[in-house]
Amino acid sequence: MASRFWTQGDSETEEEESDYDEEEESVAVETTTATAASRYYSGNASDSDDSDGQKRVVRRVKDKRFDEMSATVDQMKNAMKINDWVSLQESFEKINKQLGKVMRVTESDKPPNLYIKALVMLEDFLNQALANKEAKKKMSSSNAKALNSMKQKLKKNNKLYEDMINQCREKPDLFEEKVEDEQEPEDEDEDEDEDDDFDEDPATLESEESEDEEEAGKEAGESGPGWEKMLSKKDKMMDKQFKDPSQITWDTVNKKFKEVMAARGKKGTGRIELVEQLTFLTRVAKTPAQKLEILFSVVSAQFDVNPSLSGHMPINVWKQCVQNLLKILDILTQYPNIVVDDMVEPDENETQKGADHSGTIRIWGNLVAFLERVDVEYFKSLQVIDPHTREYVERLKDEPMFVVLAQNVQEYLERVGDYKGASKVALKRVELIYYKPQEVYDAMRKLAEQEIGETEESGEENRAVEESRGPPAFVATPELVPRKPTFPENSRTLMDILVSLIYKYGDERTKARAMLCDIYHHAILDEFSTSRDLLLMSHLQDSIQHMDISTQILFNRAMAQLGLCAFRVGLVVEGHSCLSELYSAGRVKELLAQGVSQSRYHEKTPEQERLERRRQMPYHMHINLELLEAVHLTCAMLLEVPNMAANAHDAKRKIISKTFRRLLEVSERQTFTGPPENVRDHVMAATRALRQGDYEKAFAVIKSLDVWKLLRNKDNVLEMLKAKIKEEALRTYLFTYSPSYDSLSLDHLSKMFDLSDAQTHSIVSKMMINEELHASWDQPTQCIVFHDVEHTRLQALAFQLTEKLTILAETNERAIESRIGGGGLEGLPLRRKDGQDYAAAAASGGGGRWQEFSFSQGRQGSSGGRMGYNVGGRSSASGLVGGFSRDRQARSGGYQGSRNQDGPGRISGTRGTQMDASTRMVNLNRGIRA
Amino acid sequence: MASKYDLTQRIAPQLDRHLVFPLLEFLQERGLYPEEDLLKAKIELLNNTNMVDYAMDIHKSLYRSDDVPTEMVERRAEVVGRLKALEEAAAPLITFLQNPNAVQELRADKQYNLQMLNDRYQIGPDQIEALYQYAKFQFECGNYSGAADYLYQYRALCTNNERNLSALWGKLAAEILMQNWDIALEELNRLKEIIDSKSFSSPLNQVQSRIWLMHWSLFIFFNHDNGRTQIIDLFNQDKYLNAIQTNAPHLLRYLATAFIVNKRRRPQFKEFIKVIQQEQYSYEDPITEFLACLYVNYDFDGAHKKMKECEEVILNDPFLGKRVEEGNFTSIPLRDEFLENARLFIFETYCRIHQRIDMSVLAEKLNLNYEEAERWIVNLIRTSKLEAKIDSKTGTILMEPNHANVYEQLIDHTKALSGRTYKLVSQLLEHAQAQVTR
Repeated sequence: MASRFWTQGDSETEEEESDYDEEEESVAVETTTATAASRYYSGNASDSDDSDGQKRVVRRVKDKRFDEMSATVDQMKNAMKINDWVSLQESFEKINKQLGKVMRVTESDKPPNLYIKALVMLEDFLNQALANKEAKKKMSSSNAKALNSMKQKLKKNNKLYEDMINQCREKPDLFEEKVEDEQEPEDEDEDEDEDDDFDEDPATLESEESEDEEEAGKEAGESGPGWEKMLSKKDKMMDKQFKDPSQITWDTVNKKFKEVMAARGKKGTGRIELVEQLTFLTRVAKTPAQKLEILFSVVSAQFDVNPSLSGHMPINVWKQCVQNLLKILDILTQYPNIVVDDMVEPDENETQKGADHSGTIRIWGNLVAFLERVDVEYFKSLQVIDPHTREYVERLKDEPMFVVLAQNVQEYLERVGDYKGASKVALKRVELIYYKPQEVYDAMRKLAEQEIGETEESGEENRAVEESRGPPAFVATPELVPRKPTFPENSRTLMDILVSLIYKYGDERTKARAMLCDIYHHAILDEFSTSRDLLLMSHLQDSIQHMDISTQILFNRAMAQLGLCAFRVGLVVEGHSCLSELYSAGRVKELLAQGVSQSRYHEKTPEQERLERRRQMPYHMHINLELLEAVHLTCAMLLEVPNMAANAHDAKRKIISKTFRRLLEVSERQTFTGPPENVRDHVMAATRALRQGDYEKAFAVIKSLDVWKLLRNKDNVLEMLKAKIKEEALRTYLFTYSPSYDSLSLDHLSKMFDLSDAQTHSIVSKMMINEELHASWDQPTQCIVFHDVEHTRLQALAFQLTEKLTILAETNERAIESRIGGGGLEGLPLRRKDGQDYAAAAASGGGGRWQEFSFSQGRQGSSGGRMGYNVGGRSSASGLVGGFSRDRQARSGGYQGSRNQDGPGRISGTRGTQMDASTRMVNLNRGIRA
Repeated sequence: MASKYDLTQRIAPQLDRHLVFPLLEFLQERGLYPEEDLLKAKIELLNNTNMVDYAMDIHKSLYRSDDVPTEMVERRAEVVGRLKALEEAAAPLITFLQNPNAVQELRADKQYNLQMLNDRYQIGPDQIEALYQYAKFQFECGNYSGAADYLYQYRALCTNNERNLSALWGKLAAEILMQNWDIALEELNRLKEIIDSKSFSSPLNQVQSRIWLMHWSLFIFFNHDNGRTQIIDLFNQDKYLNAIQTNAPHLLRYLATAFIVNKRRRPQFKEFIKVIQQEQYSYEDPITEFLACLYVNYDFDGAHKKMKECEEVILNDPFLGKRVEEGNFTSIPLRDEFLENARLFIFETYCRIHQRIDMSVLAEKLNLNYEEAERWIVNLIRTSKLEAKIDSKTGTILMEPNHANVYEQLIDHTKALSGRTYKLVSQLLEHAQAQVTR
């Protein structure tokens, strides 16, 4: 019942609360004396004040008090006559104070008759006033407010004197007489109380209402009293006008409808009540068009039930809302001549045209907007509900309901020819499926088939009850639209259908989102290349910065999923480049909207926090962060360990993963290393083993991670991982120990790392070709012969020096170039390749600072910055946007370069050199600025 | 097995109907598919063209009877009738064009020409349009040379861009079918310019046109003398490579072959290997696999195996397996070249990572016997393509290690620096002087 807490800010409830405190004490007193009082009664029938004869002085005081009280009662009577609730309220407070005095004076524990009579009178008047909605509406706002608070107070107050009030009602004249308890009026009171509650606070209503409305329908027989009473009340207000079905005309309904609508949004109009009234009206509507019009209002009134942005609509209201929308669709299907439109203001009497009217009837309404709102409410409710409760699961089961609705709306829109709207609806459907792997999808399909069957039954009962309780609806709508979602066997098929519709008709944002969902879904199904191609072809990396935050989050999610997918299919480099950006800022949770991360340096304003909370993903859509981290670090380890071994001399030069290096440093600084506990520890332990070339231990440590069981084809992945670890272990071993060997036999190596000869041969050959390893094969003896070209420390340093000199020279050149203008330097052999690293470093430093500075933009910036995705890709446009791909690519390439330049060797772009070239160009500019 | 790598089904949809015939002929020749199926396919193709006579012939040979279905006969009559009508419609313009004196009056200015035709010969847009229709009809009838002429003339008079484009396509097809490779190449380049120009309608359309263009160009490139270089120039362009990757990965086979056969394209070749590596999931074929084995996995046995498969593929490919007959001696030049180069590739890579190689192993890897291998290697050494020596006592080849001296490298690195700095300083001085004098 989180919602209760949300709305606690209401002034009214607080007031009530404090009231309650005051009252509580007296309740305690009363209850202790209650039994005494009754004994007192039976023993001494005469009134207490009468029996008190001795104290004269006191009596005078007592009389005085009584006079005061009766004066107040007179005041109240006057106020009632003119229906002035404000003064009535004042008098009521006064009389309560006086009561205290009187009681003290009389030293009795029983309130005087006068007071009880006043209470009875007040109560009657209040009920009368409440029943008369018309009058209530006409009240001034202060008056209405007073009425409401009066209602509250009186209720609380009267509880204390229940018995006596009952007695008084029974026999007003002989009040003193002992009467048997009559339960009925009291019952009524309580009912009124309940109703009052409804009017007052929609949030608390959720539970009670659900019992009354929905459950009443479900357990048709048993729960009688609850809703019957409600009904009686409704009848009270409605049936006044609609007593006789035969007298109802279109006009009366229309008038009432206008009246009800006019009250909407005004103070003192209960939101739930409004819905009820409108629902009643739908039953008496004369023409289908009118029914439709009213139904639309019902739905929007239902949306109004929850006023706050962060809270969600009560679930039962949500369900009704879905049902109502389905009803709308029924009508629209039944009468195809009715057109729903939100552009034109329809004629005043458009709805008068009956069912037999052949021309088009225009009704105001927007199905797509409604559907989107329903979706938003569903999403919000999932955000708010604690994911570890049963409630959450129950809520998840409502999904098929929404799917049905969406499906029907989409079909309707397609039938009408509104493909734009249909594509929006299709997107909503896509957003429900895209994160589901096939298993979950199947489960949902099964659930939908069962569940809907059940609800259909109960739904019918519900209907039956509904019909029996009021006058039968004039416009009966048969269920035309299917109430059961149809799912294709395969989630991919469904995605394809929906997505292609969206690509055809959707607007930019819809298309981009659909594309991201598509990418995500492909990635889940282990189709890495397809989803990568989609990502690159759509150029989303370039434009994502300019999109709204929710889409950026979706982009981040897609990237994370893509990274996981790459890892699963064994593409370590790609996996790493997908994930490294995500981890570079250390705000994974925030980027994926899976929880709020605390930042040490930035206090968030409450506003920001609230916004962030509103963006959170519901729990069932989360990507497991631990798995993500494990994958990221494992990839980083596989790349970084041999890389570090290869560049033992200048470790700082080529850094593939800064995050990983940092972690490694931290773990190396520890004096004692305990057994690994979390993911990081595990990976660090594995790293230590791998650096020694101990692949078995490394694999064992990695394997012992629990998170792997979240992978679907765990065994295959681990197998792949083992192979990769072996390979990297071999490479690391060769890098580290080659200076100590003159020759090494293939046999020996293969045995050491448990690889086949061919594999070893291939790995070593690759290293030779790439000139990572200065060695060659001696074919007749199957040996690797190492050439002694390893530079000495001095030589290596000399090389570094020359490189730095080159950079210096280049900086000079650039400085002059900018000073005296370009040209003139073309003839010089610019060696910009070396300069590039420098410029990149400078630029990336700048980038980092920028990220820290603009925090509110930081999210945007960082997620936008995540373009650095250099899966060996056709990073230029393949296809759809073939025309101007070149310069765009240059931009993205440059950006990428500035962010995580891993040294030229590691860029595995198809168009490696071109990318390099463009990177250089962009970096140059940046360098100048920096 | 041979038909597994047959690309006809993937290529045909991107070609003009008429261009498919040569492919089918080739297949018929190779006998990969049952003859009947091919003939049926041909009739199917011809159904939508106007070459009814040809269709009749095929029908006869397919069913071994002289009966021809009545619909064909009817169609023939219809075609002839339509031909007459079109001819009449286009007659004024054609007579004008056939008159050399009149043609001389035409100038480079299109507007002027149209005006002139309209004023003096009463030839308006209708007649010009008729010329186009007539040319198209001629093409469909199989009269390619006529169609090519008319289309050429039509293009000189046409003002409609779209029409111009389709006329160009028609001209290209006609030239290809007439095997005028030089002219076809010109047309190809003209078309390419238009496609690449920015004014082209939609990107999707553009990609599609590029794919068509590449498919059509296969005819030209594998027949033209200079084609193997040009195919790389065309296909390896960014935009075209993207199109290949997106929609027609099977074209990678031709590009790969061209790269293997063409020795001078080394820098692009490395890039291309990456493309192949990346496209492995969408397209595989012995030729690309061969490259992958050799340059991605360094699996020489695999490469060796693939080489044999490649031969098969080349023989069965209508573009690659072109036969040249000299006297009574048939050769497939591309196959020989391919094998030679592939062998060289293997050997080169192999040598790069070895210090000592056993001759017999090498001979086996190169698909040669010992003697041949030795001769081949000696030749390489003599032409100083290979720095190695043969140790004939042990039967091995010894590679000479070629590592640059560390100090040489250092000097290299720094040498340029002083030059650059010197130039820089002089430039600075110049600038300073210039400012002083100003």
